[in-house]
Amino acid sequence: MQIFTLYELSLYDGKNGKPAYIAYQGKVYDVSKSWYWQNGMHQALHAAGQDLTLSLNQAPHGADLLQRVPLIGLLVE
Amino acid sequence: MAKVAREMVEISGINVDELVELLVKNAAAELTTYYYYTILRANLIGLEGEGLKEIAEAARIEDRNHFEALVPRIYELGGKLPDDMKVFHDMSACSPANLPANPTDMKAMLTVLVNAERCAVRGYTHICNLTAGKDHRTYALALAILNEEIEHESWFSEFLGEGPSGHFMRRGQNSPFVGPFMQ
Repeated sequence: MQIFTLYELSLYDGKNGKPAYIAYQGKVYDVSKSWYWQNGMHQALHAAGQDLTLSLNQAPHGADLLQRVPLIGLLVE
Repeated sequence: MAKVAREMVEISGINVDELVELLVKNAAAELTTYYYYTILRANLIGLEGEGLKEIAEAARIEDRNHFEALVPRIYELGGKLPDDMKVFHDMSACSPANLPANPTDMKAMLTVLVNAERCAVRGYTHICNLTAGKDHRTYALALAILNEEIEHESWFSEFLGEGPSGHFMRRGQNSPFVGPFMQ
């Protein structure tokens, strides 16, 4: 499994054809093929390439939805 | 654009451009769901399908009403709908409610329907959370839509055997909550 720093994660923001990755509780997910992450944005408010642990804890859905996208790596400090 | 109305929302601390984009994405979800539900309803046939047709039709018409009710608020806040219908479709807040591979599989049909409603429930809960106590008009509208989406979800959920919806089907009138926004 690939290891990402926050900087490395930020390179995968889904813009200009780049893959869109997000992190949640130390795990990195590939949301590039998700309808809900077009152009690296989710519901106009959340951007890919970031650790969204805090945002997801306030979202109107649970982390269980991440089971629908590939887990590809781990986030390190 | 309702200049002062937008200004009041901005002063409340809401990023109005983000809110408008969210409203447009949800308007797209409503209109596209109306379209996809038209196909689903047409395929609700046979002994099992006929039993679902009426609630699918109520949800279909009410989703179209949600689109109609959202559009004025988008323009009031200085937003607009995309010129290109395909762009509008592709920016939908919810994924397409496509006809299942086997349309005679009523469980698959209900799963498509309930998933679409659950996406909507999450979306309007989000908008309500963003606007509560700040943008009163958008909040009231989103809450009205949320009330109807929750009922849609519970209807389909009941047919999936997840438990009672707790209420009756519509009786002769659609959009009891959103109707006042469409006068």
